[in-house]
Amino acid sequence: MTTLIVIDQAPYGSWTGREALDMVFSLAAFDQPAAMLFMGAGVNWLRKSQDAGGIGQRTVEKNLAAAPVFGVEQILAEQSACERFRLGEEDRLNGVELIPSVRDALDRFERIVFAG
Amino acid sequence: MTQEQTIQATLHILNKSPSHPRFATCLAALHEGDTLALAENAVLAVTDSTAGLPRNCVALDADLEARGLAGNPNVQIISYGDLVRLTAEHSRTVSW
Amino acid sequence: MSPGLSYTLVITGAPWSSQAPQTALAFAQELIAAGHRIDRVFLYGEGVHLASALSTPPSDEPDWPGQWADFLADNQTPGVACIASALRRGIVDQGEQARYELSANNLRQPYQIAGLGEWVEGNLKSDRVIYFHGSH
Repeated sequence: MTTLIVIDQAPYGSWTGREALDMVFSLAAFDQPAAMLFMGAGVNWLRKSQDAGGIGQRTVEKNLAAAPVFGVEQILAEQSACERFRLGEEDRLNGVELIPSVRDALDRFERIVFAG
Repeated sequence: MTQEQTIQATLHILNKSPSHPRFATCLAALHEGDTLALAENAVLAVTDSTAGLPRNCVALDADLEARGLAGNPNVQIISYGDLVRLTAEHSRTVSW
Repeated sequence: MSPGLSYTLVITGAPWSSQAPQTALAFAQELIAAGHRIDRVFLYGEGVHLASALSTPPSDEPDWPGQWADFLADNQTPGVACIASALRRGIVDQGEQARYELSANNLRQPYQIAGLGEWVEGNLKSDRVIYFHGSH
């Protein structure tokens, strides 16, 4: 049974997104299928070329790029949020699937979890 | 006599005020037949003219009373015990 | 009469920053009254503050950490604070105090500190996993 972890909060302003990622990787570590949905301001986690050194943080780009290797089945992003935040295909990390609505994404998964 | 059936619809527990972005996202994600349970600041939606609450909507009595909305006619009022029952009856609950 | 279900409760909202601990406690009390079982209460993110032994609200204010600790003890329900969330927020037990050579420990009884594996186990074994988030 695949668990969908949802991130809707913007990156770097709080640790909620990172703690959501920790949940994803914990599921993977226990061989449990996991997927991720980024929506609202959360789609900005998926932007390329982030460099958080100046604010004393690490980017999650490498973690997200590694996610499929660790068994994360899908990385989904809300299409309208990508449009709103001008996150076109060329700006996005590889392997992100756009979904037209959040409801469509929720319909695909049995367990849906926000980290906070 | 049949056993208590598990409903296939989803129970959504929403605790965000109507002005929180996740409030609108939750409402847009509801299916006909889902149940929306308003808790904490979300109960303000019963008095929010812009909220657009669905039919299958319930709100926690203690949170309504706290906010001066006891007896509001716009929603079915439930107790914490009712909320427990709803989570038992629904095979899927999403907390927003 | 249908048998009770097993629940894992996850609290990610901190006391005073949110209502999550209060809603979760009222829910937990009704769960037990209805004959269900709570496998564990898992504190994650900001929720770990509920497990601080040093939280001391004024006597005329609700004491969420104290009330939760009493509930867990009275019902012999395991309470777990996620180690990663807890350490970074300054909630530590004796073991972590020793490991990191800290000046004190403050994990309230009867909580344990453990990893996200406890949450994964809840997903696998409990009939229901219910989350109580903060408001932000």
